[in-house]
Amino acid sequence: MDPKEPIPVSLFFTCLADAFSPGVCTATVEVLERFGAAVSVPLSQTCCGQPAFNSGNRKEARAMARKFLLSFPDDGYIVTPSGSCAAMVKHGYPVLFRDEPRTLTRARAVGERIFELSQFLVDVLGVTDPKSDFSGKVTYHDSCHLRRGLGVVSAPRKLLRAIPGVEFVEMEESDRCCGFGGVFSLKYPRISCKMTERKVERILATGASYVTSGDLGCLLSIGGLISRVGYPVKAIHLAEILVGKTGGLSSFAADAASVEPRPPGTVRWAGGR
Amino acid sequence: MELNANAFGRNSRKALLDKTLQEALGRTTGRFQAHRDAAVAAFPEFEATRERASRIKRDVLDHLDTYLARFIEEAEKRGAVVHVARGPGQAREIAARIARDEGVTLAVKSKSMASEEISFNEALQGAGVTVVESDLGEFIIQLAGEAPSHIIAPAVHKTREQISRLFERHLGEPRTDSIPELVAMARRHLRAKFLSAGMGVSGGNFLVADTGSVVIVTNEGNGRMGTVLPRVHLAVVGIEKVIPRLADLPTFLRLLPRSASGQTISSYVSIVTGARRAGDPEGPERTHILLLDCGRSAILEGKYREILKCVRCAACLNACPVYQSVGGHAYGWVYSGPIGAVLTPLLVGLPEAAALPDASTLCGACADVCPVKIPLPDFLLELRSDAREQGLKAPGEIAAMKGYAGVMKRAGLLEAIERIAGVLGQFFTKGKGIAGLPYPFSGWTERRDFPVPAARPFRKRWKIQRGVTR
Repeated sequence: MDPKEPIPVSLFFTCLADAFSPGVCTATVEVLERFGAAVSVPLSQTCCGQPAFNSGNRKEARAMARKFLLSFPDDGYIVTPSGSCAAMVKHGYPVLFRDEPRTLTRARAVGERIFELSQFLVDVLGVTDPKSDFSGKVTYHDSCHLRRGLGVVSAPRKLLRAIPGVEFVEMEESDRCCGFGGVFSLKYPRISCKMTERKVERILATGASYVTSGDLGCLLSIGGLISRVGYPVKAIHLAEILVGKTGGLSSFAADAASVEPRPPGTVRWAGGR
Repeated sequence: MELNANAFGRNSRKALLDKTLQEALGRTTGRFQAHRDAAVAAFPEFEATRERASRIKRDVLDHLDTYLARFIEEAEKRGAVVHVARGPGQAREIAARIARDEGVTLAVKSKSMASEEISFNEALQGAGVTVVESDLGEFIIQLAGEAPSHIIAPAVHKTREQISRLFERHLGEPRTDSIPELVAMARRHLRAKFLSAGMGVSGGNFLVADTGSVVIVTNEGNGRMGTVLPRVHLAVVGIEKVIPRLADLPTFLRLLPRSASGQTISSYVSIVTGARRAGDPEGPERTHILLLDCGRSAILEGKYREILKCVRCAACLNACPVYQSVGGHAYGWVYSGPIGAVLTPLLVGLPEAAALPDASTLCGACADVCPVKIPLPDFLLELRSDAREQGLKAPGEIAAMKGYAGVMKRAGLLEAIERIAGVLGQFFTKGKGIAGLPYPFSGWTERRDFPVPAARPFRKRWKIQRGVTR
């Protein structure tokens, strides 16, 4: 492809980021534009239906999935700052529509075109330097659906290591589930919390100032525990690190997430603001 | 074994508060998993072997009738008496009848999950037979009057202090915190039982169709002594354990101990073929093989048939963060962890165990380690869907899902709700995390904050910034 030719990308911003972390969506747009994507945002999109699918409520999941398939254009890439939502479209939709051949064909085609942000940057655009001026000690949590569902392990790490101001540290058990699990965290909150506690212990052991991930769901759980206890570490989405301190958030300055470390007790989940 | 699977929520809360259990779980599952990972890393052919094993097992499931018929024919040819039980009740009857006909009053039993399925010990006790568990872990929990909490380490939840107290109370042994001493006490006690028992009971890891052999993989000598010393040997095995040829056995023997405990090979592998023949220096006079269907044929007919590939290595338990948090008893039946969450509802009926498929974050760690490539997370998802179809979901959940889908069908409605939530959120929380939410979110916010909805969601921002409406 001609490098000057803009690459058409539709943003699948996810309902979670839309409602709780709009800064993650804007950061995603900014990073994609930085590397030559022409980003469009289909505004009729809502939720991919994952919570309904994962809890066995397939009738409702199918309704949402149909809506999703109608919301996106027939060609071009679809990029999302969420490994689990991308995995839902890729692997969940073929299950939902296994008895509807025409929709199944459409679902498979959309599944071919959907990418999680770091996967798209590294595997499709060939980005080796995200050109981010973010600085700080960062550790990375593998979300289960990003790692096992999409097989994305090295892309986010490559990008983090390529940021000059970032000191990247691996945590132990980085591939272990954080305990969120969507509806699991509502049905079995105590087990969920126990798992999150173990994850946060591993995060704290690295001495990192930031824990990042490619899934907002995990950050919801990890960040929520950090916020409650007041641990000296901040949960922040990968897109927000890739965009850097001054980058894309400037256009939405009023809502830009502060990424300065704070003293213990006042540290909060980076989303929401 | 008593069924208590739908109490998973209550069972797990109890488990989370049990300090001894929590320590034991951290110690054991972590160790098994580390050993497993190291053993797999040191065995470059693991992936190829795993693929081959999965293929063999699929072939077995495709032709289970043929292989079983062959197994029965070959085993009987070599002097074994083969019985087939359709259901647990019939299995108990057959087991009791065998014991009575053979005039047995004491039986030594090595570990067998299949026998737990049919409440074997109770059946024999009903026939006037004393059953002594001879696997060290099983022996301990039998003294404690408990059920196994792990497929390969049944007493993983007991500390050595608790074990010593049990030995003091039931065997009259002095208290000690030395593991070798505890083992020696159990060995002394069990040796006498092995020598006086009329029947040895075992499970079976594999049934070999072309030789009629029962293969028993153990790490303690009890399995071998139980199959050789007593006058009668009874093997209780699920019908799905059949493999086509003796030549297939090495494939599975390479996978099973590595996946289970990280061992290259287990301490004992016994291949028991028929009864004692003239000129044999040892072995039982009579060999019975009790094959359990107990729901397996029905599973074979449906979409979950691949669950019958399971070799009971317990790798999925050790890899599962939910199992690691609550242990095996929380699952409320014989099988725990991810395999239990799928197998239990299939064997006892989904209405009796609908809570189990929900007891997973779908993280996929179980499928990563399964040596025969069972798609456990897919099955968990499928079972959750079956639960909805069979009317086993709480009306509240269905109503919530319907409402949620109703909103998500219309972006405009979602946007309006997000704006209202945003305004309320900012008003009530002043931008801080939400520390308390009503049910069903109350559990979530017990020890975690929930984020505040953004004052201005992304969709709205985008419209304003880019001046677009679509």
